Amino acid sequence: MNASTLTLLLEGAGVSLALALTSIAPATILGAALTALGFSRFAALRVLYRLYVYVVRGTPLLVLALLIFYALPALDLRTGPYIAGALVLTLYVGALFAEVFRGGVLAIPRPQWESAKSLGLPPAAMLKKVIAPLVVRYTLPPYINVCVMTVKASSVLSIISVWELTLAAREIIERTLAVFTVLGVAAAIYFIMCFGLDRLGRRLERRLMARGFAGEPV
Amino acid sequence: MTYLGWVTTYGPTYLDALGWTAVIAVLASLGAIVWGCALLLVPLVAGRWGARAVDAYVQVFRNTPVLLPIYLIYFGFPLIGLPWPAAVCGGLALVLQNGAYVSEILRGSVKAIDRVQFDAAKSIGLSPWSAFRKVVLPQVLVYSIPSLGNQVVLLLKDTSLLSAITVTELTMQAKLLTEQTGAAYEAFAVVAVLYLVLVSGTEVLFRAAHRAVRWSR
Amino acid sequence: MIEVRGLKKAFAATPVLRGVDLRVDDGEVLALIGRSGCGKTTLLRCINFLEDYDEGEIRLDDHPLWYRTDPDGRRRRVPDQEARRMRQQMGVVFQQYNLFPHMTALENVCLGPRFSQKVPAADALTLGRKLLARVGLADKVDAYPVHLSGGQQQRVAIARALAMRPKVLLLDEITSALDPELVGEVEDVIRSLLPERIMMVLVTHALGFAREIAHRIGYVAGGVIAEIGRPEQILEQPQDATLKDFLRRIR
Repeated sequence: MNASTLTLLLEGAGVSLALALTSIAPATILGAALTALGFSRFAALRVLYRLYVYVVRGTPLLVLALLIFYALPALDLRTGPYIAGALVLTLYVGALFAEVFRGGVLAIPRPQWESAKSLGLPPAAMLKKVIAPLVVRYTLPPYINVCVMTVKASSVLSIISVWELTLAAREIIERTLAVFTVLGVAAAIYFIMCFGLDRLGRRLERRLMARGFAGEPV
Repeated sequence: MTYLGWVTTYGPTYLDALGWTAVIAVLASLGAIVWGCALLLVPLVAGRWGARAVDAYVQVFRNTPVLLPIYLIYFGFPLIGLPWPAAVCGGLALVLQNGAYVSEILRGSVKAIDRVQFDAAKSIGLSPWSAFRKVVLPQVLVYSIPSLGNQVVLLLKDTSLLSAITVTELTMQAKLLTEQTGAAYEAFAVVAVLYLVLVSGTEVLFRAAHRAVRWSR
Repeated sequence: MIEVRGLKKAFAATPVLRGVDLRVDDGEVLALIGRSGCGKTTLLRCINFLEDYDEGEIRLDDHPLWYRTDPDGRRRRVPDQEARRMRQQMGVVFQQYNLFPHMTALENVCLGPRFSQKVPAADALTLGRKLLARVGLADKVDAYPVHLSGGQQQRVAIARALAMRPKVLLLDEITSALDPELVGEVEDVIRSLLPERIMMVLVTHALGFAREIAHRIGYVAGGVIAEIGRPEQILEQPQDATLKDFLRRIR
């Protein structure tokens, strides 16, 4: 393992992290929108939610990625593998977030909903001041989990030629046959990223708990 | 070519790949469960150090993507004199990875199962090992069925990654067909449907197993 | 004044309310008692439209609530905005999980006035502090619910309901989930409200308390108000057979 290999791997790690982070933000929005669909008063929208989550969670990420990767040129949208990769990741993780948020909404005790209704709160205020904060506090641990999963999932994109840490490692191995060292270092880098993200999440959780909300119905 | 035409022409080819996916998934799942049990039992025989080692193992596999062990075994084993077939390499990687998760699931179940059972078994003279094996473990397995079902589904989906090391399972097959015929949509859409069927089938199976075992208790 | 006429409600195929008629006057305290599942809580929740009902009418000060009749005689739900305004005239306190755990006591109390009634922040805060002092929790204004006892939480919930200046307070078994030693402080707060002659409907199992503060007690059974009258009448000279039975079991 020399310096240039290490630099290459670290660059790849940067790309993996960037891919993950730039997918998490839109995926969160997508997830929230999907969750709202799932609670819609229109049955058709609820079915749409169920269908989306069923398909995205029942198909391997790789297959989804290949579908998008091959489908985009067909739709005359010539984008690089990165956009395709970020798109796939967003669509995939969005479904995961949707399930997480849904769990959070269902965890809110009924009297809380009813208290908010009884106070005559307009929907915007109810969402902003009551529902959203509660859902955030209930779902923080699984949300962080999904974020960590996103970093790991980004490695799958290496198979559709998105250059990131896993692909960097594979290319080096195919060149130099230094399988164990290179993969060992790559694993260590992933570990640091994922473990670090997890720790960050736990610290965030503790901050929220200090404000008096232990994340559970009081 | 229409979708229907596609399915009738290439159906048999898919079936072959489907077989591979299913076989690998089943064998790797069994392997992962056995390995997970083994990991669970290590602390019983190796004490605190064993527990720490297993914990480290689990943390490593939880925080790294599954492609890395796959590549490690596929590219690395030939270098140390074990040129195993790609499917075996991939299967082994899946076992090692998912075994970590299985051991966590089982550990959670063990905590949930009454400790009294364990103490009762010991008090009638069973050694800790036997007590665990004969009394606690069966209950733990039963309790874990839903979570294990989830894990098996994840493993099933991960078999698609073996296409990266030339195993001709479903995803690889779709890639090959795409290169052959240029019909990407059809190739992958059919594969997606097949995966959905496999996943749903697995879920149904585990739910039925859970119900069956609950009734017999 | 609240008037309920011919209220009917069924959950799936099971009828729960089979034509309830009720009238609560201004300044009156009405207690609803009855066996579990008799429908007393459902009745309370229908008054506030937390439960939808199938037939019947509910009026507050002679204004029909929740439903409007079309010119062609059809029954139509009032628009959400109007429903919200109607709800603001009623204060509700539930058995538990009233308070929003991510807000302090003061923030909980001020939430309604600020965001439903558009009271300016400073005024809302003053009102909130006053009410919290009123229920004996002046020193807990910045406490989070997780740091409050069950009794304290219920008192904050009462303050929160009062902050909306409601015409009626609906109290759904507010002491049933409390440890016995905490019940007293909540009952004290309710007692302290009596001089203000606020209309109250409380669903309760605490017969002693009901007897003390209620002007009338209504016994709910078979989906209707089987018997209603002054506490002494109901509790000492019950007419209805099931009521006699009920009282015997409770004693």
